[in-house]
Amino acid sequence: MANSASDLVKDISGLVTLPDVYLRINQLIENPSSSTEDIAKVVSRDPSFTVRLLRVANSALYGRSSTIDTVPRAVTMIGTQQIRSLALSMSVANSFAGLPNELVSMENFWRHSLLCALASRHLAEEARRCDPEALFTAGLLHDIGELVIFNRMPEQAKEALLIVLDSQDEVPVYEAERQAMGFDHSEVGGELARLWKLPPLLEDCIAHHHDIANAKRFPRETALVHIANIIALMAELDTLNPEDVSPIDPRAWEVTGLTEESVEPAVRQAQEEIIEAEKLFLNEQ
Amino acid sequence: MALSPSQKPPPPPPTLPGFEHVRRSWNETYQSYAARILPGEYYVTRHDEGVYTTLGSCISACIRDTVLGIGGMNHFMLPATESSEADAWKASSQNSATRYGNYAMEHLINEIMRNGGKRENLEVKVFGGGRILQNMTDVGQRNIEFVRDYLKTEGLRVASEDVGEIYPRMVVYFPTTGRVRVKRLRSLHNNTIVTQETSYINALKTKPITGDVELF
Repeated sequence: MANSASDLVKDISGLVTLPDVYLRINQLIENPSSSTEDIAKVVSRDPSFTVRLLRVANSALYGRSSTIDTVPRAVTMIGTQQIRSLALSMSVANSFAGLPNELVSMENFWRHSLLCALASRHLAEEARRCDPEALFTAGLLHDIGELVIFNRMPEQAKEALLIVLDSQDEVPVYEAERQAMGFDHSEVGGELARLWKLPPLLEDCIAHHHDIANAKRFPRETALVHIANIIALMAELDTLNPEDVSPIDPRAWEVTGLTEESVEPAVRQAQEEIIEAEKLFLNEQ
Repeated sequence: MALSPSQKPPPPPPTLPGFEHVRRSWNETYQSYAARILPGEYYVTRHDEGVYTTLGSCISACIRDTVLGIGGMNHFMLPATESSEADAWKASSQNSATRYGNYAMEHLINEIMRNGGKRENLEVKVFGGGRILQNMTDVGQRNIEFVRDYLKTEGLRVASEDVGEIYPRMVVYFPTTGRVRVKRLRSLHNNTIVTQETSYINALKTKPITGDVELF
């Protein structure tokens, strides 16, 4: 194979960049002497982001009883780590505008990603002892490697999709990708996360959502995203039959402490929330 | 296909004449072979094997003789007509769009009859006609209505159907038993399926309908 996953990511490093507002917030958060006021100031300097942040903070998705009408209040009530996650979630779709492809529409791609984000957040709240906002971002980004592959290696990507269809949809996409090009979208996504120096939690979830046994640093969170990915497919296809989608790795239940009983409510909630979520997170597309 | 070295699949059953080049593969789940058909093709078998295809806006009729267990599947679409009128395609049998549909149905039914099938024993199931492109005309719906009309005219009852909606479908049909597995496919596959259907439609435009053609 001419390309490796890391070669691919190096190729596109000039075409996709992290959103400015995220980078600035991230820099502040990494600096122990920053205050919430500093972060609020950085956010306020981006008026369109401010508007969108307040809209998200006050949406039904976040179920708040009091209105959040100022940025400092948003930062205090939502939390600085979560503001960073939100900044990334709200702007990352725009980052990929420079990486078009003909194999999947951005609308379909981000809808699946959002469904996974919503399910990840829901499962994180249920599983407890992990950050639902970080899990939302992980779910949203889990398939970004696909966008890189579809843009850089469209012929092999198409071959992979045909392998799936020719197998009566029994060979999973990641396995077909390995057959067609020697690596899969989760590896590519992991490389991109490393290039972008994203938090290790995000990197682990992206890189190992199809091989959760290899998520050494954040096994629980990765397992949640793995389950959420399947839930997102069930929500999309409007089915509760496990035979209609890829199987969930049984180890994911052990690692997360959740059971199959979590599936149905998660599917229904994702279906209910997706319309609102698309408006809030993708409206700049 | 995860078979251990000692467990090779059996050789595929013989095909009926004319279908030798149809691609067949062993399916672990069903423990049988499955013949794949693409847009414009059809396949009939008298043996215990499946026929499968992927449907976007295209329609597929799965037909079998319930007594003999001989049957098969077609996969076709009515090409767009000149007029934008919704009912234009119903207007006359001269209309070239319906001729493609008629050929697709006739070829499938005639092949079953040629191999001993009887009209009164035919069981029909219909799949596809989804709406997976956001364009103006619902071509899937046209295909569904064509097939329903055709079957009604022929006096054939539709035993079951799974049509319309926004999902592409994978359909695997077993003529010996009539069993069907219909699986909705995720939107990741939409563009691939649309490309296949578009190539087929474009090929139709250049192909005259003459005589006994296997590909319409």
